[in-house]
Amino acid sequence: MPQIVVQDITKTYTVGADVIPAVQNVSLAVEEGDFLSIVGHSGSGKTTLLSLIGGISSPTSGRILFEGKDLFALGSDELSEYRCSRVGFMFQFASLLPMLTVKENLLLPTCFRPGGGETGPGQREKKAEDLLRMVGLTEKINAYPSQLSGGQQRRVAIARAFMNGPALILADEPTGDLDEETEMDMMNFFRTMNKAEKITFIMVTHNTDIAKQTQRRLRMHRGLLQEQ
Amino acid sequence: MPDRFTLSSIAVHNLRRRPLRTGVLVAALTLMVAALVFALSFVTRVNESIRLTSERLGADLLVVPTGSRGAAEDILVENRATSFYMNKSILDRIKKVEGIDKVSYQTYLVTLTGLCCSVPSSMVVAFNQETDFIVTPWLKNKLGRKLKKGEAVVGSESAYNISLGLVEMEAKLFGNVFTMVGVLDKTGSGLDTAVFISDDNMQDILRNSDTKIKQDEISVIFAKLKKGVDAYTVMSEIENTMIEVDVVMRKDIGKSLLSSLGDISKIFYLTMVLSTSLSLFLVWAIFTAVANERTREIGIMRALGAKERHVVNLFLVEVLVLGAAGSIAGIAAGTSLSLLMAKSFSILKNLPVELGAFSRVLIGAAGLMFGTGICVLGALFPLQRLKKLEPLLVIKQE
Repeated sequence: MPQIVVQDITKTYTVGADVIPAVQNVSLAVEEGDFLSIVGHSGSGKTTLLSLIGGISSPTSGRILFEGKDLFALGSDELSEYRCSRVGFMFQFASLLPMLTVKENLLLPTCFRPGGGETGPGQREKKAEDLLRMVGLTEKINAYPSQLSGGQQRRVAIARAFMNGPALILADEPTGDLDEETEMDMMNFFRTMNKAEKITFIMVTHNTDIAKQTQRRLRMHRGLLQEQ
Repeated sequence: MPDRFTLSSIAVHNLRRRPLRTGVLVAALTLMVAALVFALSFVTRVNESIRLTSERLGADLLVVPTGSRGAAEDILVENRATSFYMNKSILDRIKKVEGIDKVSYQTYLVTLTGLCCSVPSSMVVAFNQETDFIVTPWLKNKLGRKLKKGEAVVGSESAYNISLGLVEMEAKLFGNVFTMVGVLDKTGSGLDTAVFISDDNMQDILRNSDTKIKQDEISVIFAKLKKGVDAYTVMSEIENTMIEVDVVMRKDIGKSLLSSLGDISKIFYLTMVLSTSLSLFLVWAIFTAVANERTREIGIMRALGAKERHVVNLFLVEVLVLGAAGSIAGIAAGTSLSLLMAKSFSILKNLPVELGAFSRVLIGAAGLMFGTGICVLGALFPLQRLKKLEPLLVIKQE
């Protein structure tokens, strides 16, 4: 059984009298451990589709099943638990909380786990430190986001997505602010996590070179999805 | 290194982000709670003084000369030295009224100043030891015998004023030397500031002083009713048949004081309503601004797995920390103000009852609940809106 099944999903936005279709009748099946990319122009609906799969936006019609469960039949708390423990988000924009340090930003998602995320004395911190080391930011552990460059902030957000041990990573232009070398490092990091932890990756990107490094490539155009 | 980062840590970080705004909100709450604590302390102290005086008086009715009802309350509730007199013959007429069980009387002599040093105005109360049921129970308890001619006992507050300890001392009262033989326990009534003598001494006082009181005059008659007799019926009977007296029922003691305090109470209540409304508006306005400011952050948290209750808890911690800080400062300010005013506000200065620790704790608890309650209430509406937002929509608002 596929890990994710998107069934005839449609999402429209209403702006005044206009109804704008962002995603139109999209269907998709993703197996556990898949690494797929979605490319397309701005406004083609890539981010909206990612948000629907991540349960941070609700569809106008259609269903999304994750491990056989219909996401939008879940209650608000269950949907939050899904986002907290099964999904790791990498947003397209700066998403760190400005009043928290790098380490605190990493610890943030663990606060939403049942029991406040405590698995053992110092375990959360150790994991945060390990992930920061993997993205090459150990020395910035106590810095605030305003003290980091755009690329460094992006890497912190990447590390944060893995904090709760997700089964699925939804990455929206995750390497957008990174230089070529760091971009390659991050892609290697993603591949390692994909292989070692069997984490499913769905990555939205403009960059066709990045997309070519993924196992399965999809293209979105005017809300419609096509396999490449 | 201990693992301490929790949602409460985020709330504390948030409070530090805008120290001026946090300070303004805490200051507003402080003022509101201080006003509440001061008003409650004032009202509680007045009511407690009246209740205790009425309870400890031991008489069901007080009979005073016509027009002296307020003056009698001045003495009993507010410790004010004052005098009023009526003919002693009324005592016999009161005894004959149906329903009356026992009567006694007291004569008030004003004013005692400069007893041994500089002391405030006070009262000398002459009472009849054969019939008395007001002072005697306290006297028996303390002295264990009746007062002899030339002896006096002082109320607990007078003893404090004249620095009377255990050592017997002599003092000249109305041209006669009296030996102070004891100090009465605190009764919680205005009589705590008086000096008590037996009315056997009245002849000597009239002879040796220039007091204007006549020999057959007394100030007040205390009456106890027979069991089951309605006080109102007896009061009406007395007032209808004796135009020269007014009657105060035990339960009505303090009514004239309360009525004179009516306007002050209204000002207190109005101040409370205004400061509460202002604080509520301020909390609402600030938390609406906070909610707007943090919409995107909350959206990110929701996307990272925060439940609605996490958002609520985050705000509640902030609100409760603010409310508690403002309330505690307000309780301290209000209590200090009430203590300060108790020394300089003439109404409070004369009240016999000080607020006890228990009453102060209760008033403090009321202040704390009120201060934090206003904060929670003010933050409720912005919070309701915030927790229901769809994460993607608010994240995209940039």
